[in-house]
Amino acid sequence: MADLQHDLSRTAAADGFDDLAEPYPDEGVITAESYEPVSDPDDAPLTRAHAILAAHPVADGCNALPWALRRLSYYDLELGESTVDTDVPRLRGGHVGALFWSLQLPEGLDGDRAVGATLEQLDRAKTVARTCDEGLRLTATAGQVADARNCGRVAVLLGPAGAPALGDSLGILRQLHLLGLRALTLTGVSWASEAGLTRFGEEVVREMNRLGVIADLSGASAQTLRRALSLSRAPVLCGRSAARAIRPHPVNLSDDLLAELGAAKGLCLVPLSAEQTGPTVRDVADHLDHIRAVAGAECVGLSGTYDSGSAHPQELQDTSCYPRLIAELLRRGWEESDVALLTWGNVQRLLRSADFTARAAQQRREPSTATISELDG
Amino acid sequence: MTSLEAARDLLREFPVADGHNDLPWALREQVRYDLDARDVAADQSAHLHTDIPRLREGGVGAQYWSVYVRTDSPAPVAATLEQIDCVRQLLARYPEHLRPALTAADMEAARREGRIASLMGAEGGHSIANSLGTLRGLYGLGVRYLTLTHNDNVDWADSATDEPRAGGLTAFGREVVREMNRLGMLVDLSHVAATTMRDALDTSTAPVIFSHSSARAVCDHPRNIPDDVLERLPANGGIAMVTFVPKFVLQAAVDWTAAADENMRAHGFHHLDTTAEAMKVHRAFEERHPRPVATVSTVADHLDHMREAAGVDHLGIGGDYDGTAFTPDGLNDVSGYPNLVAELLDRGWSKADLTKVTWKNAVRVLDAAEDVARGLQATRPPSNATIESLDSPEG
Repeated sequence: MADLQHDLSRTAAADGFDDLAEPYPDEGVITAESYEPVSDPDDAPLTRAHAILAAHPVADGCNALPWALRRLSYYDLELGESTVDTDVPRLRGGHVGALFWSLQLPEGLDGDRAVGATLEQLDRAKTVARTCDEGLRLTATAGQVADARNCGRVAVLLGPAGAPALGDSLGILRQLHLLGLRALTLTGVSWASEAGLTRFGEEVVREMNRLGVIADLSGASAQTLRRALSLSRAPVLCGRSAARAIRPHPVNLSDDLLAELGAAKGLCLVPLSAEQTGPTVRDVADHLDHIRAVAGAECVGLSGTYDSGSAHPQELQDTSCYPRLIAELLRRGWEESDVALLTWGNVQRLLRSADFTARAAQQRREPSTATISELDG
Repeated sequence: MTSLEAARDLLREFPVADGHNDLPWALREQVRYDLDARDVAADQSAHLHTDIPRLREGGVGAQYWSVYVRTDSPAPVAATLEQIDCVRQLLARYPEHLRPALTAADMEAARREGRIASLMGAEGGHSIANSLGTLRGLYGLGVRYLTLTHNDNVDWADSATDEPRAGGLTAFGREVVREMNRLGMLVDLSHVAATTMRDALDTSTAPVIFSHSSARAVCDHPRNIPDDVLERLPANGGIAMVTFVPKFVLQAAVDWTAAADENMRAHGFHHLDTTAEAMKVHRAFEERHPRPVATVSTVADHLDHMREAAGVDHLGIGGDYDGTAFTPDGLNDVSGYPNLVAELLDRGWSKADLTKVTWKNAVRVLDAAEDVARGLQATRPPSNATIESLDSPEG
C-alpha cells in the first residue's frame, strides 16, 4: 500500500509505446478452451465446489465491512467477529480471494460533506485492512490482486464510492484515485441522472478510463448505462444488479440491458440480497442462469453485499456460504470453466482491462482540466 | 567578492527552503488552473511573484506550496483537494525543476539533484472539516503541514485575527495536534492566536513550525510571534520562518493598513472589497497617504530579534509570495532571497549560521517530525476521536 501513498511522482512515460508492450501475465485469465478441470465430476457437488473455489476463489464485488465496523471500538477480524458477516475465518471458509469494499455514503450527503465523508471512508477502510494484515491486503491493480492471492491474503479493492464523492471535480477524482479508489457508481449527481450523462459526465468517464477507475452502473438510469457502454474504453460494471425478468427491482437489469452489457463485455455482479434475487439459494442460481444465458458466461459475477444492511437469502447468511451457491450451480450442470469465470476470472479480466486502458490512455491524454461549469453551463 | 555574490554562493550549496508560497491559489484565482495560460517555466512577472526562472535566481531549493482555500469557501475540503491536484499537475509538468518531496530525505535528494523539493502545506483547520479521517486523507495525499487556523477561528482553535472563543485549543484541537504528531505532519502555528500557540507547544511532542510569521516585539501585529513563544522553540526544536508581508513586518505599514481599512469602512465598504467603487475609494486614500514601504532591512531586523529570542537553530524563511499584494523593496518576488542573505552577511551573521536559516533547520524539523511519528505509530492506533465526543458540553 505504500505505493498508493507515495506515488506523488508518478507520471506517464513520455517515450512512445514501449510501455504498452509490457507483457501482462496470463495468470488468472480463464477461457473455456484452455480450462483445466480441478474437481472430480464423480464427487458430490459441495466437494467439487470447494475444490473449484480453492483454485478460483470468489472476487466479491460488494462488501461494506468497514462501514459496519465504524461503531465498534474493538474488533478482531483475524480470530472472528460475530457482530458482522465478514471476518478472516469465514472469508477463508467461503474461499473469498478478493473483496471490493463499498464506500457508499449515507443518504442525503452531498457537496463538501460527501467529499469529506469519502475521505473518511477511505481512511477507515485502510485502517481496518491494516489492523488485519495477516488476512487482508489492500490492492490497487490486477497484478497486486494476484500477488495478494499468492501470499495467501484476501485482496481488498477500494470502491465503489458514490458519484457525489467527486464534488463535481476531476481534480478530486484524481486525488481519490491516488488514495486508492478503484470504482465509482455513476448515480445521484447532476451529471449522471435519469437523463443520462451530461458532457461533464462523459468527461468523468474518460478521466476514469485514464486513471483506471472502474465505472459502476448499478442503479444508474438506462440512458446513463447505455452512454457509458458506448463511451468507456474499459469494460464497465453493474456491481449489484440481478435480472429484472426474474424479479422486478429498480436496480435489477432488463434483458435488453443485460444483452447490451454482455456485448460490451461488461460485468453484471449478482447481489446475494433477498430483496433483489429472492429468498433462497435456488433463486440466486436462477438469476445466475438467466444472466449467463442473456449476457454470457464472461459477463456474470458475484456481489455478496455482506455487512451492507441487506437481508441475505437463506443459507447465504455470511461470507462463508459461497460453496453452497457454487454446489447449486454444479447441480444445474454449470461447466467448471463457467464457475471459474463467475467467481474469479471475470473480475480479473475487468481489472486487467481497466489497468491496460489506463496505461494506454495516459500515453495520449493529459489529465483533464475540464470543469462542470465549463461543460454543463 | 560582494556580499551579494557571497550570498549567491552560499545559496548554491544550501538553498532556501521556504515555508509558504501561494502559487496554487494564484493559479486557481487567475486562470482556474489553466497551466498553459501561466506557464511558470517562463517569465510570469506580469502576473505572479513566482515562476521557475525566478525561483532559480532566488536560490530556492525547497518550497512548501500552500494548498490554501478560503475560510468562507462553501466546500473547503473539495477545494483543498483541487489545490493538491494543482500542485501535482505542476510537478508532473515541470519534473526537471520540481521534485516531489514528502520527507526530509526527499528534500536532501532534491538538493543533490539540483531540483526544487516541492512539499505541500494546508493553511487552516477548515481544510479538515473537524475530521481526523480527513486529516489523514490529506497526509496520504502528501500534505506535510497544517496551519491550525487561517484568519478565522475554527471550532477547535482560535485564530490570531478573530475574537477569542476556545481560549487556545479545545480538547479536540489537542487531539488534532496529537494525531498530526502520530502522522508526521508538522503543526504550523502561523495565523493562530498566541493562546493557541502555547496550547500547541504544550501538546505537541514533535517540533512545530511557523510557516510564515515574524516577531511581535519588532512589529506589534497579531500575525507575529510573541517573545515568550519564540523562547520556547529551543526546547521544542521547532522553527519560526520569517515572513516578508509589509503589513505584518513594518509598524508604519501596520498603522497605514489600519487607517486604510478604517477609511474603507467609513465609506461603507468591507475592508477587503476589491470592486471598482471600493478600489476608487482606496486609491484616493493612497494618494493622500503614501503607502509605507518595507525593505530587506526591515525583515533582517526581525531575524536579528528572532535570533536573540529563539536562537539561530530555530529560524527559517517563509516569504508568502503570491499570498500578499505588496512585498518589501529588494524582496519583490521569489528572486529576492539573495538580497536578504547578503543583508544578514553584512550584519555579521556567519555563513554557517545562515545555512541553518536557509536550509538546515527546515530539513531538521521535518526529519524530527518523522522520527516522532515512527515512535508514536508503534504505540498508538489512528485516533477515531470526534469533535462531538471531545468538545460537546456533556463530553
